[in-house]
Amino acid sequence: MTAQHTPMTQPQNTTREQPDDFKTELLGLIPFLRAFARSLTGNQEAADDLAQEALAKAWQSRDSFVPGTNLKAWLFTILRNQFYSDRRRAWRQAPWDQDAAERIPGGGQDQGWAAELSDTARALRVLTDEQREALILVGAGGFSYEDAAEICNCAVGTVKSRVARARKALIAILDGEEALPATDRPPEGGAAREIMAQLDSLAPDSADAARKRKGPTE
Amino acid sequence: MSKDQNPNREKARAIRARQRVIGRELRRMYDGVAQEPVPEEFMDLLKKMDSQDDTSGKKS
Repeated sequence: MTAQHTPMTQPQNTTREQPDDFKTELLGLIPFLRAFARSLTGNQEAADDLAQEALAKAWQSRDSFVPGTNLKAWLFTILRNQFYSDRRRAWRQAPWDQDAAERIPGGGQDQGWAAELSDTARALRVLTDEQREALILVGAGGFSYEDAAEICNCAVGTVKSRVARARKALIAILDGEEALPATDRPPEGGAAREIMAQLDSLAPDSADAARKRKGPTE
Repeated sequence: MSKDQNPNREKARAIRARQRVIGRELRRMYDGVAQEPVPEEFMDLLKKMDSQDDTSGKKS
């Protein structure tokens, strides 16, 4: 038996002692939560719904937050989990940014994210979700690879390779080596091959997809 | 040293320049959203959290 002892009365609600501080911090993180949500959904309305869901969930789970750790990363993790679980429930989902671009009359200048159609914003559409989120967290959100790995629930090396592949893909597109996707048409060229490869995994019995998967020789 | 003797270095420099542009653009998009005024719904939600907290806290 060790000399260690358990205090008779352990403080039960250490994280609740200063709920106002916690809430104040949450409040300060809302703008970043919205930005990350926008980068995941590519659509303002869906992003704000998602961010609100995540905020409510964070509040409900506030006791599980370990004080002194990265609240922003914790919050982003909740948002990301929410995003993927919502999406699993929704069988058919509009492609990234597609509905925003189509629904908003006049292109929606105040959408801020992909709808403003800068080359980079459009190019983001050809990335996989995993590549895009890793690139955003590290390249725009200012997270370390370690924090990004925690948020994305994967290894640090995986984040690094996703970011590297995302950058490489964007450079290829912006340099004109790959077709830049238009807003209302599926991307062509190499990017289309990538998408076809994704479709293949959903429709393995498609002869057409199987033929395309072989693609040109590298 | 001429460019021709260092095509790899030229290429690496071009890639770095591209990455800077991409990085700047990503931050511009992200910061652009982060700088938007927070919609009212979020404030309503925070108020709702407060009232929920009060009711559960005051339960005797």
